[in-house]
This record gives sequence, structure tokens and C-alpha cells, in this order.
Amino acid sequence: MNALERHRKLTAIWASEPGFRGWFSTVNHNDLGRMFLVTSFFFFIIGGLLAMLIRVQLATPHSAFAGPEIYNQIFTMHGTIMMFLFAIPTFEGLAIYLLPKILGTRDLAFPRLTAYGFWCYAFGGTMMLTAMVFGIAPDGGWFMYPPLTGAIHSPGINTDFWLIGITFVEISAIAAAVEITVSILKFRAPGMSLDKMPIFAWYALITALMILTGFPPLILGSILLEVERAFGFPFFQVELGGDSLLWQHLFWLFGHPEVYIIFLPAAGVISTVLPVMCRTTLLGYGWIVASAVALAFLSFGLWVHHMFTTGIPHMGLAFFSAASTLVAVPTGVQIFAWIGTMWKGRPELRLPMLHLLGFFFTFVIGGLTGVMVAVVPFDWQAHDTAFITAHLHYVLFGGFVFPIFAGVYYWLPHVTGRKRFFHLGEFAFALVFLGFHVTFLAMHWVGLLGQRRRISTYAPEDGWTAINLISSVGSFVLAIGIGMILIDVVLHALTATRGRRNPWGAGTLEWAMMTPAPAYNFASLPHVTGREPLTLLPDLATALARGEGYLGEPRHGWRETLTVDIASGKPDMHVLYPANTRLPILMSAVTGVFFVSLLLKFYWTIPVAVVGVAYLAWRWAWVLGRTDDPQVRPVGHGVELPDAAATDRPPGWWGSVFLLTANATFFGSLLFGFAFLWTIAPGWPPPRWFAASPVWLGAGIIGAVLSPVSMRLAIRTNRRGGGPVPGVVLSLAGTAALGLTCAAMMLGTPPPAEHAYNATLFVLGSYGLFHATLAMLMTVFLAARVLRGFTSAVRRAEFAIVGLWIDYACITGVLILLAGHLPTLLS
Amino acid sequence: MLAGAALILTLVIVLVSLSFRRGDSADTKADGDGVRQVRVWIVGLGLVFPMTVLAALLAYGLFIGERLLPRAADDVARVGAEGRLSAWTFTYEDAPGRRTEGMLHIPAGRPVDVAITTVDVIHSFWVPRLAGKLDAIPGRVNVLRIEADAPGRYEGVSAEFSGVGYDGFTFTVTAHDPSEWDAFLRGNPE
Amino acid sequence: MKDVIRMLIAPLAWLGSFSAVYGLHGLLCGHWIGGAVSDVPLARTLLIGAYGLAMLIQLTLLVALYHPRIGAPPGLVRFVSRATGWVGLVATGWSLFPVVVTTYCS
Repeated sequence: MNALERHRKLTAIWASEPGFRGWFSTVNHNDLGRMFLVTSFFFFIIGGLLAMLIRVQLATPHSAFAGPEIYNQIFTMHGTIMMFLFAIPTFEGLAIYLLPKILGTRDLAFPRLTAYGFWCYAFGGTMMLTAMVFGIAPDGGWFMYPPLTGAIHSPGINTDFWLIGITFVEISAIAAAVEITVSILKFRAPGMSLDKMPIFAWYALITALMILTGFPPLILGSILLEVERAFGFPFFQVELGGDSLLWQHLFWLFGHPEVYIIFLPAAGVISTVLPVMCRTTLLGYGWIVASAVALAFLSFGLWVHHMFTTGIPHMGLAFFSAASTLVAVPTGVQIFAWIGTMWKGRPELRLPMLHLLGFFFTFVIGGLTGVMVAVVPFDWQAHDTAFITAHLHYVLFGGFVFPIFAGVYYWLPHVTGRKRFFHLGEFAFALVFLGFHVTFLAMHWVGLLGQRRRISTYAPEDGWTAINLISSVGSFVLAIGIGMILIDVVLHALTATRGRRNPWGAGTLEWAMMTPAPAYNFASLPHVTGREPLTLLPDLATALARGEGYLGEPRHGWRETLTVDIASGKPDMHVLYPANTRLPILMSAVTGVFFVSLLLKFYWTIPVAVVGVAYLAWRWAWVLGRTDDPQVRPVGHGVELPDAAATDRPPGWWGSVFLLTANATFFGSLLFGFAFLWTIAPGWPPPRWFAASPVWLGAGIIGAVLSPVSMRLAIRTNRRGGGPVPGVVLSLAGTAALGLTCAAMMLGTPPPAEHAYNATLFVLGSYGLFHATLAMLMTVFLAARVLRGFTSAVRRAEFAIVGLWIDYACITGVLILLAGHLPTLLS
Repeated sequence: MLAGAALILTLVIVLVSLSFRRGDSADTKADGDGVRQVRVWIVGLGLVFPMTVLAALLAYGLFIGERLLPRAADDVARVGAEGRLSAWTFTYEDAPGRRTEGMLHIPAGRPVDVAITTVDVIHSFWVPRLAGKLDAIPGRVNVLRIEADAPGRYEGVSAEFSGVGYDGFTFTVTAHDPSEWDAFLRGNPE
Repeated sequence: MKDVIRMLIAPLAWLGSFSAVYGLHGLLCGHWIGGAVSDVPLARTLLIGAYGLAMLIQLTLLVALYHPRIGAPPGLVRFVSRATGWVGLVATGWSLFPVVVTTYCS
């Protein structure tokens, strides 16, 4: 068949349903990436409007614009929306849209998960907007410190909206992070070994791993605070053995990596766009990869620099001051590598380049003030003043917004297939650049003069009036500039003329397809031999369209792709994707019912929602697979690959590994919280200890050993062609025993509302019980699959996945039982 | 610090601007990285330069931080600052039972240790002209060393957001010369 | 996957050591440890000992990453893993140095 016929056949297979009905059932990364980006920029506008309200309020002393009750909601929502509903989802949208293209493949690892993540974001964001519209938005500042946000001092539903709504949105981030990690590691074009990956993929991989390990502490903290508010479990109440500092540690364990999670994708954009703007290649690719890895890890060792004024001893502070200064080094390596790239090449002042220049100027200033506040005595003056507000806007706007604008203008021709007609962009950039610095530069000074953050107004005698007024004027200029950029983008999408395929002359794979991108990305998958495949083979696009790559012949109506070995890029599995489905949006809606029930305290709908999610998850997994052994399939160029179900490490296994990584971080944070309260919180020891029992402990450990061992036996039996059901049933019994002992621990703890020790043990027990139940559900699923013929000695993938979850439940279960029983048994 | 930061920013701006003027160089689409390029940009400017500056800055910061710690001394006066929404109550070790609201009295020219506590949410004790800030954390006593070089009034604020009422949550510190301080301790209303 | 581990192991070890020393400091302050070891207070001796151990771990990892059999074959992964090996060593030396020069528990 020729290229056009191939295109038609592939489009018929891969396209989403037409019209807006397609939004609800799409699992295509093109659609979902665009949906993420449109939604995130919608929230950017809302956050921006809130910012304008802030500046209206602060323009004059004794402002009559808004009282503190409303103003507290305005600035809390500004920060919350920008951090959670704009920045992270923009990364998600960009990664979802771009990664399959630059990696030379058809879609991400788990298309339905992409859709589920989007709808959780959309529904969670709607919850937050609803709170705002009804005037019951969170008002404790975007980091929501207890005891201010505890039940006594924030009795209203406002705080609950934050704790529950943001947790709902974070499901989206975790889902995207799992997906991005597995996609980058496994779903690449043949031949694309790790060292031939485009630099953006490295940044996205590192960011995704940071999300998996950085978000769980916040999720834990939010759950603990919500449980404290709803049920009186005193995690953060010092009178009952809790500690308000625990929240700060958990929050900032998330909060500091969060800002690098925001910066790194933008750095990925810079590393991609800048060399193209300079007609050369990136200087120091390996150094940049190493710097990004260094930055990611170092960022997890900085969190206490947000707590320099809490009374932590100087040596403790010094560790974090040292680490906070050190983190500027990998950042500096990247910045100078970029400048070196500019010197290496012939930079041209095209529109994306303007925004990159905006980045250099703004982010470097932000980084320099950051180094200043890393010095503890200076921070003791600057903390909680407008100096910090200025610093954070310099690094976030400079380090994220400018690069993203550069990326928007760079990839706009790709998304729309059009050439720029109106030239609003340059003027808009000037307004944004000018407006930003007029708003925020003098803010440093007024902070040093003593203006605190988060005050709703000030007095004329303070002497801050002039700077605040100038700042507010600047903010309106900034808003106009941003508005012009958005209008420019919309105009471009609607009116510009058709452009040629690779207007920038770039060498990465996303430009080797027709623009706008077809639903299937590439008609056939390329074999990659270098970092700039399109530069090496300028005719690549036409060759792929003619079916000369892998998987060039659409067959059986299948949505096909292949995976590769992580390091070498050798093809190793053939993967069939599911088709359009409403399962993700349905699942997200039922998840939403769960969260809304918690929020409104409709406790009788919670079990309904939980059962609903479990049922939908069962169906989600059940619709995959087949009842006969698949053949090894040819994928082109003489390569034949096994079906993913006939391997030991299918994509679902990798997805589980990374989801369990996030889960393990959550569990680790819980153990940390327990240890922290025990050793640091003032109100210990508790009035009474848990009545430990060697019998229950022993039974639990036996169950926790029996279960994974039996499952391994079942796997081995299955591989040899025998019947795995006895092993599976035995494993189920072991997990059940473990679950029972965790339940016993929950029932045996003294009243949780009495002391933080009781509350923590109760939560630990419930975590163990939850995971034991989850593992049991998966085991029952597996047994059903075996009995219905979906598994065989060849089709063994599902055993591996369930085995992972059993191992996890049992390891954590043992640790939980030890944490509960051992201290009392030992003393 | 400001001068150093300005210098570094200028360096970056100059380097970025100069990169636009290098149109003549022949081999501009070099695929490999020249060893000299890597050495200059990445190792020299990216590693050596920042690490040198940061090491000096860190050493300086730790040194100053150590000096600000409340170490034992003979003439330390001790006071207490109890924060609540939205007012401070001050107590005095040298005048037991004496409490003042919104106004802290200290002797000038002597180190003063302020024991900072709270009865409800997190607050922060900050008198910018006398010292950095230190938070009032429930269940804890944080001690801040302040010293007023000369007698006078020094304005203070609570610097941790505490909801409605935070805007006006201010206080004043009055530093007394020795005779006034004795008078205060003896019970003269102030 | 082994390549991924090679690239991450040294910074990960730094994160572990860093948290452990910070936690050790918290424990020492929460449960006052008296005594001295040749004129150096016991608490500081323990902290410096932990620092030394952390450095030793980093040195071992660095040597391993340079070892022809344990380290990666020539290429990007080897470059990045050696670079992050140095990152781990420098980060440990730099960020834990305060155990030697700053006041603990106050």
C-alpha cells in the first residue's frame, strides 16, 4: 500500500471518536496531551487573575478592596493553583504529547492510565474552583501549617477542600509519573539506547522519578491532617503527643523537590530548544544528564531550609545550608553548558530565543537570591518577608514560565501545522519581561524593609507604598503581556497558513512526521542510530510514511507498538494497546465520589465508591489478554517479538515497580513520622503502650512468609505447565492471615484520639490491612484468570505482577507488625 | 552579597550577549564537543567557579551563625515572650510575676535571651533591628539572643501567618539604660 | 536496569547518609549523651564517626564505579555514573562537614 492508504488505515485504527464525545473516551496521547495543556493554561489564567487581585489589594495602604478573610483565600488559591493545577499539569501535558514522538514510538505505556490521570486532574481542579466560587476556598496559605489549619483554628470546610482536593489531583501526577517512567525506559524506537535518547527524555525521566518519591510525603501529610480534623487523631497536636513540626517536615520533604520537579522539565525544554536556535548541538550532553541527576538527588536534601526559623539546632541547619549552597553547582553546570552551546553555535534572535533570554536573566537572579537565603543568618531576616516572595517568583517564572513560553512557540508549528502570521509574540515578550521585573524586582527591597508575606494590607507609615504601587502597575503590564501571548497562540491555531514540516531545522524525531501529528504518530517506527536521527537521515519522514520502518503494515485492526531493552534499545516485546474506552473517565468519576464523600462527610457513600473503584479496576485488567497462546510476531526488518503477556517483565510489571516505589516512599514517610514523633515530639511517652502479643506477631510473620513463597511456587509450577491454583490459594491464605493480624493491631490499639502513638499505630495497621486486602483481591483476580484460561505456561505475565504486590504487602506488613509489637515486647 | 551577586549576573549577561557576536567562526555545527569548550564552560565556569564562591559564602554564613547563638555569658537578662492570636505577653526572669502586653522591656547594652512560646498556633518573634526571627512552636521553647546597642524603641512583628488578625500583630521593644531598667524591674509602670 | 542503578547509586547513598547523620543528630539531642572520647564529647565523636563512615561508603562506590568489571562499559552510562559517583563524594564531604565545625543541639 502507498503512504496515503497506510495513513488512512492507521488513522481508522488509532483515531479517537469524532467531536467532543471523543474527549470522554480518548486514550490517545495527542488528544490527552493537548487536553492537559489547555486545562493547565486555563488554570494559569485563573491563578493569574488571583495574582492581579492580590496586587490590587496591595497597591495602596489600608486597602478597602478585600478583607483578610477573602484575601487569605485569594493568596492561598493563587499559590495552590499555580503549583498544583498549572505547573505540574503543564509538565504532564508536554511530556504526554511529546515523549512518544521524540522517542520514536506510537503512544505511552498505559494509554488508559493517561486518560484516568487527566480526568482526576479535571475533577479535582473543579473541586478547588467550586470552593473558590462559593467563597469557601482554603485560606491557610499554600503550605497550610497546622495548628492554624487544624480543626480548632480552621473549623470550616475550606481546609478540607485543600487536603482532599489536592490529594485527588495528585493521583494524576503519580499516574503520569508512573507512565512517563515506564514509557521512557521501555517504549522507545529500536536502536535508541540510553545514550541516544533526546535530552528532554532524560529530564522527563528524572522528573517522573522525583514525582514518585517527592509527592508521597505530602499525600501522607494531607491524609494525616484530614484524619486529625475529621476524627481527632492528634498527629499535629502537641498536647496529645503530636507535633506541628511533623507537618512542616512532611510538607517540605515534598515541597522542595516540587520546585525542582517544576524546573527540570523547563530545563529539558531549554536543552532542546536552545541548540536548535543556535544551529548546533548541545554542549556537554553527558555533563547535563549527570547534573540533572545530581540536582534531583540534592533537592531531596534541602527541605529544612524552609524551616530555618523553627528553632532547629545550628548543626542541623548547617547541614541544609551546606546542601542548599551545593545545589547551585549542578544548576550552574547546566547554565554554563547552555551559554557554551550559544558560543559553539550561531544564535538567532527568533521568538523562542527571546523567551530563553528572559529565562537567563530572570532565573540567574532568582538563583543568586536563593544562594543568599541559603545563608542561615540572612534567612533569619528574610524568611516570611516579601524578599522570599520575590525570590520564588524569580525562580519559578524565570525557571519555568519563560522556558515554557519558549517551548510553546517552538512546538506550536508542530501542534497546529501552521506558520506564524501575526507577530504579536515579540511585543508580548517585551511586555511580559518588563512587567515581570517591574513587579518583582523592587519586591526584594520592600521585603528587606520588613514587609511580611501574606499580610492583607499595611500602613502608610511603613514606607512601602511607593514600591507596592509600582509593583502593582507592573503586574498589570505582565498580565497584558501574558494575555497577548495566549491570544497570539489562539490566533495562530485558528488563522495562520499551512507551514512546512520542520521550520526550525531540528534533528529530533517529533519533526519526522506530518504536522499536525496524526493519531498514530509514525506510520512505521524508525531505527535510531544517533541522537539527531532527522539530521542523520533528512528523508526519514517520507521513509517512515512509506512504511519502511518497523510495524509499517497495519493488521487485524490492532494498535501495535513495541518495547525495547532499557539500556541497549534492542526490541524485546510486542505490545497491543486497548482501544477507545470510557472506563478511565468512569473510574475517575467514581474516585471523585469517594473524595467528595470524604469532603462532605457522607460516610455511607464511601464504601459504595470503594467497591465501585475495585469493580472498575477488575474490569480494567480483565479486558486485556487472550485465552490462547500468542505466536511470536514479525515486526519488520526481520525481527520477531513475543507478545508482552508471554514475558516475565511486561509493561504492567514495570508500572507496578514504579507505583510501588511511590508507595514505598509513602510508607517510609509514615515510618519516619512515627520515629519523629517518638523521639522529638514533646508529649511522649504515651499514657499506655500497645498490648503486644507474640502470638499475633508470629501469626502475621508466618502468613507474610507463606504468601510470597507460595506464589513463587505457583509461578514455577505454571512455568512448567502444571496447575498453579493450589499455590495461589495458599498464598491467599497467607495474605489473609497477615491482614487479620493487622486488623487485630488496629483493634488492639488504645483509642487513637487519645495520643499520637495510638493514632500512628492505628494508621500503620490500616495501611497493612489495606495492602493485604489489595493483594488478596489481586490474588483472587489471578485465580479467576487461571480458571477462565487467560493464563498458561507461556502467558505468565500476570503472575509476575501479582507477585510484586504480594511481596510488597508482606514486607510492609511485617515491618508494621514489628513497629507495633516489638517495642512493648522488648521492654 | 549584593555586590557579588551583581557581578555574577553581569558576567552571565555579558557572556550571553557576546555569544551573538560570534558569527565568523567556521565550524558552527560541530557535532562533537571540543575538549577546550568543555574545560572552559563546564569545568571552569560550571564547577570550579561556583564551588569556590559557594564555599567561601558557606563558611562565612556558618561562622556568623555560630556567633549569633545564645551562649552562656555573665550579664544575660532573660525574658519570656508568649504568643497567641494576636498578641504577645512578656514575662521577666528578674521580675517574677510581672507581665506586660504588647511591649517588651529589655536592658540596653546587654545580651537578652527571649524564651519564645505559643499557646495556640505557630507565631514568630521578629524585631528586625535587633535580630533575625525565631518561631514560636507549640510545645517548645525557642530561645533567641537579642541585644540592643542603645536605649530606644524597636518595632517588632509576628512573622508567621496566623490567619485573620495577622496584619496588625505587632509589638514594641523598649531598651532601657541601666537606671531605667532597675526602675522597671522594681515595678514602675511603663 | 543495572545501568540505571549505576547512575543513581552514589547520590542515593549520599541521601541516605545525609538523612542518617541528620537523624543521628536529632537522636543525640533528644536523648542527651554524655561522656567524652579523649577530650572530644561523645556526641561529636559519634557524629564525626558517622561522617567518616559516609565518606568511606562514597569512596567505595566510586572505586567500584571505576572498576572495569563492576562499572559500565565505555559510553554515556559510564561517564554519567562516574560523574554522579563524584557528586556523591563531594556532596557528602561538603554537606556533612558541619559535624566538625558547628555547635550541636543548640
